[in-house]
Formats: sequence, structure tokens, C-alpha cells
Amino acid sequence: MVEHSDELDSVFGSLSDPTRRGILKKVSKKSMSVGEIAAHYQLTFAAIAKHLDVLHRAKLISKTRRGKEQIVSISPNTLAVASNYLEEYKQLWENRLDSLDRHLQVTNKKGEK
Amino acid sequence: MELIKEVAFERTYDASPETVWQAWTTPELLKQWWGPNNVTIPECEVDLRVGGKFYIVMEAGEAMGPYKGTKWPMLGEFTVVEPNAKLSYNAKAWTEGQKEETTIDQTTELTLTAENGKTQVKLTAVIHKTGPKAGMAVQGMQAGFTQQLNKLNDFLTAKK
Repeated sequence: MVEHSDELDSVFGSLSDPTRRGILKKVSKKSMSVGEIAAHYQLTFAAIAKHLDVLHRAKLISKTRRGKEQIVSISPNTLAVASNYLEEYKQLWENRLDSLDRHLQVTNKKGEK
Repeated sequence: MELIKEVAFERTYDASPETVWQAWTTPELLKQWWGPNNVTIPECEVDLRVGGKFYIVMEAGEAMGPYKGTKWPMLGEFTVVEPNAKLSYNAKAWTEGQKEETTIDQTTELTLTAENGKTQVKLTAVIHKTGPKAGMAVQGMQAGFTQQLNKLNDFLTAKK
């Protein structure tokens, strides 16, 4: 059995916000400074910093210092774990829907008798 | 990488919307298909009204090996109840004894449409929040289904 990491804890919560999803999408293409990210939004710097904090706590991004600037990069591992998990969740539903199909077939046959 | 937290399915069943609706909302019928073969449903309650309770407990049987005896409860509340057409509920599902760590917070929406004597079923499940070990709970439940598929596979192969 594969042990899932604690990283998953806040991932889905973090992704529930459209601004955070947007930020993540941007930094997934290239690493950006906090200032560069903020320039894309009509939000205060503090508000952006708060969103980045949430993403950072969920380990979806990493921050490194380059001189005076903070550079934000994506942490692909966390996303991979989340995506893996979602794949299993999806499979669970696929199987349940197959099971419903078998159940309905049996019900139909009973009805014909 | 896609940032999804939602899974969507579309299936067509060879049954009327009424039959599919009954299968989804009648405890005795849910017990027959909700879980895999080697899982029992010791408890199931459906209070079919907006704000009503939807409660299902799955329990792993003998054949589930290391999971044997594990219980996976799901407790939800209906938000939309339109008979034979639409059902929606918010629910938390978890592994008994590890509620904090394994809870999956989700919204499920089911739409039924009649189509040439068959029923088109659209199902959307959105995950809002998960505990750090929710993946393990999903794997556990999943193990039951995998075994079931393997069984079916063995059966079909043996027939050849």
C-alpha cells in the first residue's frame, strides 16, 4: 500500500480559490517574483502575499530569495500526489457506476420473469 | 498539469429513470450495489428531502484481507431532491477510527435524463477538502472494487 504524504492535507482547500488557481497556473509555466505575480491582479500586495502563504502551506509552491526579491516556483510533487489521489477517487466512482449497471441488469431480468 | 478537483461521469443505463432513482435512494437497493461484492453495508439511512440525512457505512469482509473489518462511513445531507431527475448532496466520508485524518469533504450531483427508454446518468463529484490520509481511505475502498474486477476477469477468462 502506498502511503500518501501529509502534503495532500490542504491541497484541495487551496485550490478552491480561483485567484490561487490562477497564480498556480502562472507559476507552473515559469518561476515569478511576488511583484510580477501581483502585477497581474487588482489586489493589494498583502492580499497576494496571503494567497501565496496558503499555497506555500499546502506545499504547492516554494519560495526562494533572489536579492531583494522573492521568487515563487511550483512544487510539482505535491500536484502529482493530488492528481494521483484524484485518479483513484475517479476510479472508485467508475467502479461504483459499473456496479450499478450490473445491479440494474439483474433487476431488469427479474422484472422480465 | 491540470488543476482539477472534480470528477465527472456520463453513463447510459438500460433502465428507466424511475428504476435508477430507486436504486440510488432506497436503502435496501443501495446495499446491493454501492459497495463491491466483498464489502457489506451494515448501515444505510436515506431521509429523502432537502436537508435530510444520507448515511451509508461500508464494511470490508473476509476477502478483503488486511482491510477486513474496516468501516468506511459516509454522512451527507441532501441539497437537491427532484424525484427521477436530480439528486445532490454534501457529504463527508472517512475511515472509522481515523476520522480526522481521512475525511473527504465532497459534493455529489446526479442528473437523470430519459433517453429512448434508457437513462442517461451524469454524475459530478467535487472534492472540497481532504484529510492527510484520505488517499488511504480511497485506496482501501478501491481495493474492494479491484478485487471484484479481478474476480470478474477470472470468471471471464475461465470461460474461454
